[in-house]
Amino acid sequence: MDTFKSLVVILMSSVLVNNYVLSRFLGICPFLGVSKKLNQATGMGIAVIFVMVVATAVTWPIQHYVLDAFGLGYMQTIVFILIIAALVQFIEMALKKMIPSLHKSLGVYLPLITTNCAVLGVTIDNIAEHNFNFVESLVNSLGCGLGFLLAMVLFSGIRSKIVESEIPESFKGLPATLIAASFISLAFFGFAGIVDNLFA
Amino acid sequence: MKNNSNLSILLKGLLLENPVFVLVLGTCPTLATSTSVIGALGMGLAAMAVLICSNAVISLLRKVIPETVRIPCYIVIIAGFVTIVQMIIHAYLPALYDMLGVYLALITVNCIILGRAEMFAGKNTVGKSVLDGVGMGLGFTLALLSMATIREILGAGSFAGIALPFFSDHKIEIFTKAPGGFLVYGIMIAIVYKITHGKAPYKKQFSCEGCPSAAICNRGSCENAVKEGK
Amino acid sequence: MKNHIKTVVSLTAICAVVAILLALTNYVTAPMIEKQENAAVNEALAVVLPGGSGFEKMDISSFQFPETITEVYSEENGGYVFKMTTAGYGPGMVIMCGIDANGVVKGATCISSNETLGAEATYGENLKEAKIDTIDSVDTVASATRTTEAYKGAVKDALNAFVIIGGGSVDLRDEAEILADNLSAALSAAEGKFSPVFITAELEGVSAVYSADNGAGYVFVAGENFVATDPSGNVIGEASVDLSATVTAAAQKLIGVTLEEIDLSAFPNMPSQVEKAYKASNGNYVFELKAAGFGINGDEWYNPSGEYIKIKASATADGKIIVCETVSQKETDGIGSACADASFYLQFSGKTAENYGQIDAISGATITTNGYKTAVSKIFEAIKILKGEA
Repeated sequence: MDTFKSLVVILMSSVLVNNYVLSRFLGICPFLGVSKKLNQATGMGIAVIFVMVVATAVTWPIQHYVLDAFGLGYMQTIVFILIIAALVQFIEMALKKMIPSLHKSLGVYLPLITTNCAVLGVTIDNIAEHNFNFVESLVNSLGCGLGFLLAMVLFSGIRSKIVESEIPESFKGLPATLIAASFISLAFFGFAGIVDNLFA
Repeated sequence: MKNNSNLSILLKGLLLENPVFVLVLGTCPTLATSTSVIGALGMGLAAMAVLICSNAVISLLRKVIPETVRIPCYIVIIAGFVTIVQMIIHAYLPALYDMLGVYLALITVNCIILGRAEMFAGKNTVGKSVLDGVGMGLGFTLALLSMATIREILGAGSFAGIALPFFSDHKIEIFTKAPGGFLVYGIMIAIVYKITHGKAPYKKQFSCEGCPSAAICNRGSCENAVKEGK
Repeated sequence: MKNHIKTVVSLTAICAVVAILLALTNYVTAPMIEKQENAAVNEALAVVLPGGSGFEKMDISSFQFPETITEVYSEENGGYVFKMTTAGYGPGMVIMCGIDANGVVKGATCISSNETLGAEATYGENLKEAKIDTIDSVDTVASATRTTEAYKGAVKDALNAFVIIGGGSVDLRDEAEILADNLSAALSAAEGKFSPVFITAELEGVSAVYSADNGAGYVFVAGENFVATDPSGNVIGEASVDLSATVTAAAQKLIGVTLEEIDLSAFPNMPSQVEKAYKASNGNYVFELKAAGFGINGDEWYNPSGEYIKIKASATADGKIIVCETVSQKETDGIGSACADASFYLQFSGKTAENYGQIDAISGATITTNGYKTAVSKIFEAIKILKGEA
């Protein structure tokens, strides 16, 4: 029961409190780039969740059974980024062959994910920052991905409104978008206490 | 990029093609590490070191690296330099290492570096690539510093850790938090746009040209995505 | 084909060169990084053991330490810093504690925890200057009993570990284990399986009685002594004459007592707290009571369990409580749940309607205590009703 509780706490805090996009600034590029339309935002978000969980499932054992075992901890970054890049390629090929319909909707976002710092960030965080075990790492990755999706979807709605509003010339486009992001991130501050009191 | 005289290569990174405010690359570390001047300076210099080294090596090897696997090669080279910088900082500046945390490793996926490798170093000579690295690195560092100055003074009431008389009594802490980062960044982009009178190749929309991932996605998948989105 | 080979070779070559470069850099920087990290650890350790220097991590695999101890650092002047992981309300409370060469706690701090009340942040101050023989008397914090009990327990484990490092031996058994060991030592024929006997008669000099589950006999607890008897109450093994007499007398009073349930429907004015009543063959009474504690009368806001506290008690026919014990309860964990502690319910032994007043309340659990006291006090009324006096 305690394990379950702690997993729920990990999930909730990664989705809401430590939202990767809105409070840790990871994955901002796709957040700003692909959040213009709701269906794009959803597609990208789902692709990120998928890659994050799979990447964690691969990198965690490699860190613990290969890198740590042979004292190669310093190779972490280089090994992880290669794994993620290869994984993304592999997933794309596999999707293309096996589920073409899914590839059609998600496939275009996959290449963009290699350089998404949120993916590399979560795999490193799981090990360096939190020292999670395997299951906790998977749950944390799922939570970070869900948090990313949540931020993307919320934001796509707001952006469609920004486009229609009148803004001073200098602020048109990105500046207005960033300022809107600032307010959403402010709103997410409200979640800070929620996890502490989840089981109180 | 028509005028490739050495000075202009160096200078364009500072303002007209400033990687942060104009090209809108490397947004993640910009927002995350600009809470304090020291952290921003550390991050800027670390990224600059990686950028110069990787630019130099990639342009040196540009004839050797096969076209088909250039992106993995670039990533390996960049990740290698990042790790070296990471180890050096860990060994000599442990406080900075703790401050930058995971963002240090994430220089690997900093779009600026891969973007410059693909857009410049892969096509130019070593000398020019190094100059481009210095220019872009300086531009990145200055951008980080300017944001960090605003955020630290307003948010923490200090500059580089030294408390300032008036501001330390009137801290607006939100500036050191996430919302402040987005806010300052948005306003800075607007200011740079105003200063340059729109002369900068302003990437208002995320076209493939400005997208760091363009290199990987074979230029077109995003456009398809955008089309499908419509 | 040639192109493919070139591709593979160049990619491999780049990877190899980068790997070698990294290995070299690592070779140069690793010792420095280690030094830095040691310095950082030393600094953290010096917080709980002020003045300590030259900390070194010990290999603890060869020691039989309490389970909570996860890391131990030794220090030049003979002090140690212990790192413990324990559980309060939530799991994963990590505590560090410094003990100097004289076995005195010099500092304790909670590094990380999942507690809600925050008492662990400051409780370490209370434990400063504690020693192995004084730590039990340090008070816990009433509103955060669980957290602070666990904290204190962990620091006590560290003190025990300190004794073990010094070559001493420490009794790491908890109360239940000590009891089980003592019982088995007194009556080995029981094969380690005992059940407590509910005491239905006033016994002199005997505080508790256990029967062997396999019928091999009984064990009587008289003060510090554990005395075994056969199933019919004859003392087995060695015991002093006085002790033998005490136990034999107790056995005669207790063994063979049978209970007969009284039909309560014949007593319409019986207090509602009395659920069942029995008449013992020696003339005493046994009652099963339900007490409305916090589970029934608690503030809705705190989500009371909705369950009564179940109590079993025996009393003499002239209205004196022999023993009283809590059978089950669902009071607030860590606060009202203390009504299941022997230290609470044993207070009722020997009480009569006349001297009933002085019972120490459970701190922070007024509703639980009041409900419990009210239910037990109904015994006096019930006896009168059963005897037809009221």
